Amino acid sequence: MTLPEFDCAETKRHVHDYLQQELTAEENDQITAHLANCDSCESDYDIEHVLNKVIQRSCTEATPEELGERILARIRAKLAGIDNGEEWH
Amino acid sequence: MSSKSERDSQKIREFEEQALPLTPLLLAMARRSTKTEEDAQDLVQETYMKAFRSWAQFEQGTNLKAWMVRIMHNTNMNIVEKAKKDKSSGSIDALEDWQVGAAESLTSRASRSAEAEALDNMPTETVLKALDSLPAEFREVLLQAVVVGLSYKEIAANMGDNPITVGTRLTRAKKALRVALADYARSEGYQVDEDGK
Repeated sequence: MTLPEFDCAETKRHVHDYLQQELTAEENDQITAHLANCDSCESDYDIEHVLNKVIQRSCTEATPEELGERILARIRAKLAGIDNGEEWH
Repeated sequence: MSSKSERDSQKIREFEEQALPLTPLLLAMARRSTKTEEDAQDLVQETYMKAFRSWAQFEQGTNLKAWMVRIMHNTNMNIVEKAKKDKSSGSIDALEDWQVGAAESLTSRASRSAEAEALDNMPTETVLKALDSLPAEFREVLLQAVVVGLSYKEIAANMGDNPITVGTRLTRAKKALRVALADYARSEGYQVDEDGK
């Protein structure tokens, strides 16, 4: 069975699903094929792809190293607290 | 026979090995849903305390990121509920058409490489400001999808939505972000409008 071909409107509509790998293998192939042959959709895809990278890059600010240590210290303290009758398990 | 303290330390070791490496990711998310760095770190710590308490319920082999993000989402919701004397924050589905409509019109072919270039050079501060301007429900879907890499299904489970709503929100959130950033790019002299206006 052949699926209806992905035209520009369909491709643009699904560009986010495509980037997030939410499509079936067949749909995926169709969009990949369409992108290879359509400059307009390809440049639209490029922008969304860059935008994702920019979001990812912007959200990875430094994490203070001691945060993990603080979390573990709190957990140990809580566990020790059980002995004092505090209900926590 | 293992003593209680041996079991505890094994649990801590397991938790440390698996969950603790996710702190940067969770902090990145927390920073976008709290006002100060201190609040963000507190939220992450609370999340970890709850996660540790429920650690036995985590199904090994399933997506720990999704599980942790869900705990953080719920923890934050509780905090927000408690602090909800001021209901000033963006209401649900508050992405108006005017905020998302323009994205199509600014994407004429000639201007698109300029837009991609402008995005690529966008200062972090500007991107974060634009992210923070999105209504919370949209921003969270966007971050869970793009930054954490969760599936629509996982996000839907975390947010109590259905996967279709997640897809729609992601699309609208990205459009709104693109509009906001294109405005900025234009103000910096990039010709992202089709007429170079």
